[in-house]
Amino acid sequence: MLRASVWISLAYLLTPSLSLESYKEDLRVQPLRDGRVSTTFSFVTVLDGVVPRNPTALEQPDESQHYALFPLTLGQILREHAITELHLTLNAGKWNYDDWGHPLEASVRTGAELWAWMGASEVTTVDERWSGLRNALSGLFCASLGSLDSRRTTSPVVAFPLSGSTPSFAQHELRHASLPSENVCTENLTPFLKLLPCKSRAGLAALLNPQKVFDADWHGMGVHVIWKEGTGVKLKLTLQAVFNPARSSAGKRRDWSLQSLFDRSIERSCPVASSSSVSVVLPEEVNYQITPQIAHVEGSAIYDLSSSSNSTIPSNIAMHWPSEHSFQYPMPPLQPLTPLSVKRTLHGTTQTRGVLSVSITNNSPQEISAGYLEMIPALLTLWMHTLKVETNSEIRSDLLSDLKYQPPSRQPNGHLSPSMVQAVLTIPPKSTLKISVEVNKAFLKYTEHPPDAMRGWELPGAVFFPLPQSANNTSSSYDWERIYTPTLLVDLPTPDFSMPYNVIILSCTLMTLIFGSIFNLLTRKWVVVEIKE
Amino acid sequence: MDRIRTFLRRPKVDASIARLRRRRRAAAILHRNLTKFTTALFIIGYTWMLLIPIPLLSQGTYIDENALQPAQVNTYWNWGDVHTADLHLYQLDGIIDRNLTSEQRAEFFRTEFSKLGLAASTQNYTFTTSKGTISGNNAYAVMSSPRAAGTEATVISASWLSTAGHGALNVRGISAVLSLAAFLKDYSLWAKDIVFVISDDYLHGMHAWLNAYHGTIPSNLHTDPLEHISGVIWTALNIDYSGHSFSHLGVFHEGLNGRLPNQDLINSFRLISHYTGGVPMTVYDHLEPADLVDRWSEWSVLPSWTPAFIRRSPQLQQYEYRARNVVRHIGYQARGTCSGVHGLFHQFRIDAITLFAVPAKGPHGFHALGKIVESTLRTMNNLLERLHASFFFYILTSPGTFLKIGMFLPSAILVSVAMLFKGLGEWVDAGWVREVSEVSLKGTGSLEKEPKTKDMWRNRRRPMLSVLITMVATHVLGVLVFNLLCSRRFDENRSFFVPAILAAVSMVPPALLLLLPKNTPEVAPSSVLLKSSNLCLASTVISIMSLLNFSLAAMLALTMGVPLATSSRSSSTTTSLLRYAAYCILAWGWLVLLPEEVESAIWNWEVLGVWFAPFICIVYAPLVMQAGIVCLQGSS
Repeated sequence: MLRASVWISLAYLLTPSLSLESYKEDLRVQPLRDGRVSTTFSFVTVLDGVVPRNPTALEQPDESQHYALFPLTLGQILREHAITELHLTLNAGKWNYDDWGHPLEASVRTGAELWAWMGASEVTTVDERWSGLRNALSGLFCASLGSLDSRRTTSPVVAFPLSGSTPSFAQHELRHASLPSENVCTENLTPFLKLLPCKSRAGLAALLNPQKVFDADWHGMGVHVIWKEGTGVKLKLTLQAVFNPARSSAGKRRDWSLQSLFDRSIERSCPVASSSSVSVVLPEEVNYQITPQIAHVEGSAIYDLSSSSNSTIPSNIAMHWPSEHSFQYPMPPLQPLTPLSVKRTLHGTTQTRGVLSVSITNNSPQEISAGYLEMIPALLTLWMHTLKVETNSEIRSDLLSDLKYQPPSRQPNGHLSPSMVQAVLTIPPKSTLKISVEVNKAFLKYTEHPPDAMRGWELPGAVFFPLPQSANNTSSSYDWERIYTPTLLVDLPTPDFSMPYNVIILSCTLMTLIFGSIFNLLTRKWVVVEIKE
Repeated sequence: MDRIRTFLRRPKVDASIARLRRRRRAAAILHRNLTKFTTALFIIGYTWMLLIPIPLLSQGTYIDENALQPAQVNTYWNWGDVHTADLHLYQLDGIIDRNLTSEQRAEFFRTEFSKLGLAASTQNYTFTTSKGTISGNNAYAVMSSPRAAGTEATVISASWLSTAGHGALNVRGISAVLSLAAFLKDYSLWAKDIVFVISDDYLHGMHAWLNAYHGTIPSNLHTDPLEHISGVIWTALNIDYSGHSFSHLGVFHEGLNGRLPNQDLINSFRLISHYTGGVPMTVYDHLEPADLVDRWSEWSVLPSWTPAFIRRSPQLQQYEYRARNVVRHIGYQARGTCSGVHGLFHQFRIDAITLFAVPAKGPHGFHALGKIVESTLRTMNNLLERLHASFFFYILTSPGTFLKIGMFLPSAILVSVAMLFKGLGEWVDAGWVREVSEVSLKGTGSLEKEPKTKDMWRNRRRPMLSVLITMVATHVLGVLVFNLLCSRRFDENRSFFVPAILAAVSMVPPALLLLLPKNTPEVAPSSVLLKSSNLCLASTVISIMSLLNFSLAAMLALTMGVPLATSSRSSSTTTSLLRYAAYCILAWGWLVLLPEEVESAIWNWEVLGVWFAPFICIVYAPLVMQAGIVCLQGSS
């Protein structure tokens, strides 16, 4: 008791120097039309008045880092590599845009995605710091980010612009890489929770029960570091999960409560959080009940959980549909919730050739212009002359403009960088645009195959993004965000690795026969031999 | 040491001469005994084929892929799910009573899937064939597995008609798929998407769906792209359950053009069926002798008058049982047809089998089937890679035993080698002519010998051009006949075209004889040359085919082996003509004798792309006709 009071008084003594840091947390719960429940946690720490490290001064010793709320481990990585802006997401599952709408956090690419904006410097190059960043983060989050090497790294500046402000000290460059096969699990959540000031002991993070979160239909976590002039460095840790109460409940009902979703409850609020709230987006229909009842604000119920507020922490927040026996799925045809629906497939059954086809449907009554970005590993060779743009089975090449194609280039380490296709698509209202391009599949050296060679190679999803609004462009007023397509699997020609000895024996025998006979012919002395009968 | 040194230093010339002599002697022995040698090869080859069913050649099946872990999970399928299946069955009975159209049926299935919250849709398709159009409607649903990226998928399918055919409807199979869809979506343990397909009719529905899924739509198929698509399909299970209950689950595995699924799939299914469901697995719908203790005599081909000790001999029963399996396998594989809907998957690198519920009065039903399918899906779900470890070339002789490729391939290869030797022997023979002339030996000494006859072997020319033209002409004739068979006119005027084709194919080759030069002593007789090239070509065809489709190669070895090797000219014209007629019947007789086979082969070619029909018309029949020409050529 005495010891605790000493600590508390010490903490109070230190408080004045920490006034530049603030922390707030928020949980948004949204019931979806297919009976699922989308939950988004966001934990925001702001370092007021702090400027990202100037990369040109990397040689000089850095200013000392004293944080109370900001995670030191992450801060050190950011300062060490002079990162201006960082986005890391680790997701599992396929985001269903049609039924779930746009996610609160746009980065929902399956697997791992990392992108960072860094100032150029002559002290250490951007690529060196990118490699250092990858390895440091892979150590911090226990993820295979180290394999996001030059074979996966590109620089798509239009699709992934700086979200904050651009510091004046250096020219900034973007590095972006994704790893679709990265699986997200508990070992990534634990380090994530360690970055929070209250860990998972108090506040909203107490709900994050790995057993439940990783059983959700879709789940993902994100780390976003953004610098804004005037505000400072903002660290936003997010965790999204889409639960399916109809799957796990006995009566196949869509009723949910925080207790049933997470199997935990919030016992106490995080004392350092300046604000802490749970907001429930209320469905449009009226036959639901929400407990505890609270006044609605703009279609959502907001519960304040912060320690400063006078209200007591609700032990549980629940929503149920009393008139419903079991959940009835809405019957098709259903209008997709996003203005664009995208399907991307790799057609063709041979191991050498194929057709990559993308079909984009505009569900809105307005014409939409969208940026289209493909970052394809050098496993596939795109034949750009076969690029076809069709709508209503007629060729409409005019709907694709500003095409930029960057073929794979050989890196100093011998690897081929991914190829990048970027274009602007104009999708007429209520119609479907089909893009197809023929591809060749690479024939790899046998050492380049992964241990699970017969699985195939993952092709990261394409990205569709709204174009930056320019002054003369007023047509697309539709509000939409980045859309990722699901990952594809490519079958490359694969040798039979399961019987290496048979292969070695057969090929060696063949080589010996060919070599032996040719050697024999070349070294033999030819004479006429007379045989007497 | 010295001896070794002298051995090493001895003049090399002697060794070379000795070697050359040795070679000549060996060649001479081979040539002298060529008939014996080829006969022995023929006999060994054919005997080997007969011995394929003996248990001695088979070996026990085993699981090769460690990831599969069959029958290692607790299943959750329970009586509540059986009740769901029964309700679906009740609804389906209503559909049959109301006589709904294919489109209405597909719409019903789609609604059922949509009620479960799955992304469901229907597919309308039309095939154009020489006999008019075939159209239908498939219903399918994609279950996006929780947490999965959707890069891989597994298919569970049921066709409207059952494999047993004859108008049997696969209602229980479809009910099982619908109730499995309701059941499987409630678990988060699936690592791959699961696609449920209820295909129309028997084969063409699934064929249209698979082609649309993979974007390989052939020119004679008209269909829209699929609305919902999942990842790469690795494995597929097709459920065929038309009876009331079942006693065994039969596995059908042959695919189009002789493709087989990876054996691990069948082996793990066997273990799961036995340990999880308590249902014995059978190959096809053939029950084992042990399952038919008192009823074996009904199944056996042995007539009732054979002594009881022969009929009851377990070895003989086992042989007969395995022989039935092998014959059924060869029947499917040689024709290139699939033994069920699963066979359409193999061309897209998907390992698939059909589970056939062998109709019986009991004891199993939806409960056992659901558990087994669930457990099999869990096993497939464990796969991190495509099935690749186990065998792709095998003959399943009984549920637990199989033949490796090395155990059956040599039988066809030996016959093919015999034909090759025979052909090469003919080629050598054609190059030499034996002349008997009187030669007086002029002795150097005082001994005067009487004039002695001596055989002189003289080289002669072997002009191949006309022979090659003849061969090409027969194959071109085959192409023409094949095109005619696939045309609409043939189908409309079958009674006119069949005799016309037969007349044409039997009359044209004799006309070709005019092309062949007359026999002169200076030149090798073209019949010998033709026979030699014919045998070599046929042997090559059999060897190549044995790697692609053993059953077809074995059938070719049976039908072409001895007939082609024994074709020869005869002294009498009548015998020659009779022989020619026999070859004609062997080559083209199926046109008259097996009209249903012709029809189904052409349907398979046009709709499913099975190359059995073109192969028979363009390769097999012309090869046999060439042997017929050999007989005619000699007589003229």
